[in-house]
Amino acid sequence: MSKSSNNEKVLEIKDVHAKIGNKEILKGLNLDLEPGKVHAIMGPNGAGKSTLSKTIVGHYDIEMTGGDILYKGKSIKDWEPEERALEGIFLSFQHPVEIPGVNNAYFLRTALNAKRKHEGKEELNAAEFLRTMKQHLEELGMKSDMISRSLNEGFSGGEKKRNEILQMLILEPDVIILDEIDSGLDIDALRAVSEGINRMKDGKRAFLVITHYSRILDYIKPDYIHVLKEGRVIKTAGPELVARLEETGYDSIEEVQ
Amino acid sequence: MTMEETVARYKEDFDLFPSANDKIEYIFDLGKKHTTLAQEEKNDETFVEGCASAAWLVGECKDGKLILRGEGTSEMAKGMLTLLLDIFNNRTPDEILSFDPAKLHEMGVVELLSPVRQQSLEAFLKKVYEYARKCSEELKVNNQK
Repeated sequence: MSKSSNNEKVLEIKDVHAKIGNKEILKGLNLDLEPGKVHAIMGPNGAGKSTLSKTIVGHYDIEMTGGDILYKGKSIKDWEPEERALEGIFLSFQHPVEIPGVNNAYFLRTALNAKRKHEGKEELNAAEFLRTMKQHLEELGMKSDMISRSLNEGFSGGEKKRNEILQMLILEPDVIILDEIDSGLDIDALRAVSEGINRMKDGKRAFLVITHYSRILDYIKPDYIHVLKEGRVIKTAGPELVARLEETGYDSIEEVQ
Repeated sequence: MTMEETVARYKEDFDLFPSANDKIEYIFDLGKKHTTLAQEEKNDETFVEGCASAAWLVGECKDGKLILRGEGTSEMAKGMLTLLLDIFNNRTPDEILSFDPAKLHEMGVVELLSPVRQQSLEAFLKKVYEYARKCSEELKVNNQK
């Protein structure tokens, strides 16, 4: 891997070590993301998949103890999570949080306007925002009462995940990390979520799809499959690797040094 | 965009909001684009008599059109002024005089205003139509010259 920053890479994860509490989870992880490419991260439980996503966004659970993360050529390891978000890094949560009393539309508009302000763009007023939101709601097959409900409160599993995708569509991030976006989804929700993700594939954004199952990769075609094991990427291959993993499991994958 | 089309566009905007509170809040939101008047422009002549909170409206006849500028003091006045000026400003006096103010009800928000605020709206409209009539007369005199 090149030591210098490369404009073709939107995100460079370089020899990253990270721990939660006293436990080291990421042990020298390397990974580059390019605009327009879909990278799938697969691996057994406890391999460090969710820790990787949290490390990229600067989650407070994580202590990065080594290595560096470059976003558009700049080191972001000391950036606050909100700075990373404002600059265009997005994480859809595996377990989206319910926030009673916070209106979903207000929450989204506040987030979008914070990003627009950061980018030097004019903020959207409530009507301009709702027009955009309603269009996305229709495309995602979501009910219009999502506008007035509290953020994720009482949402079904499928509604929560669709709401994450709604946030992604509205915020238009450059690096999109989807942490088990497929978990708990029925086939209709999976299709709606995948269609939402595919609409963002315009060649400019990089996707990191973290999943246990190959099912979602039938809908979101990956360019690369990375196998994560014990805190490191032990193999990178094309989408053909999915079939082999399905057949023989992770134990059959040997680390390529 | 004609005055009727501007009203229709606002109707579409207000229809997006699920509740009366949200619609009222949108009026406050519009007030963020509210402009102010120079201190010397705020006088007895421009004061909108009958408004619930102090408001001033300047009307100038320029190039055959009525140019309106205003300032309100409450959040509601600022929002309503921004909305109403969007509809009434920079029109010919004939356009304004032939516009039926009852059409403002089509936006679906006038009836949400409290009686005091509805009176404020009436006071605003009275002032606008006064300016429009004055401008129309000025134009007629100028045309006869």
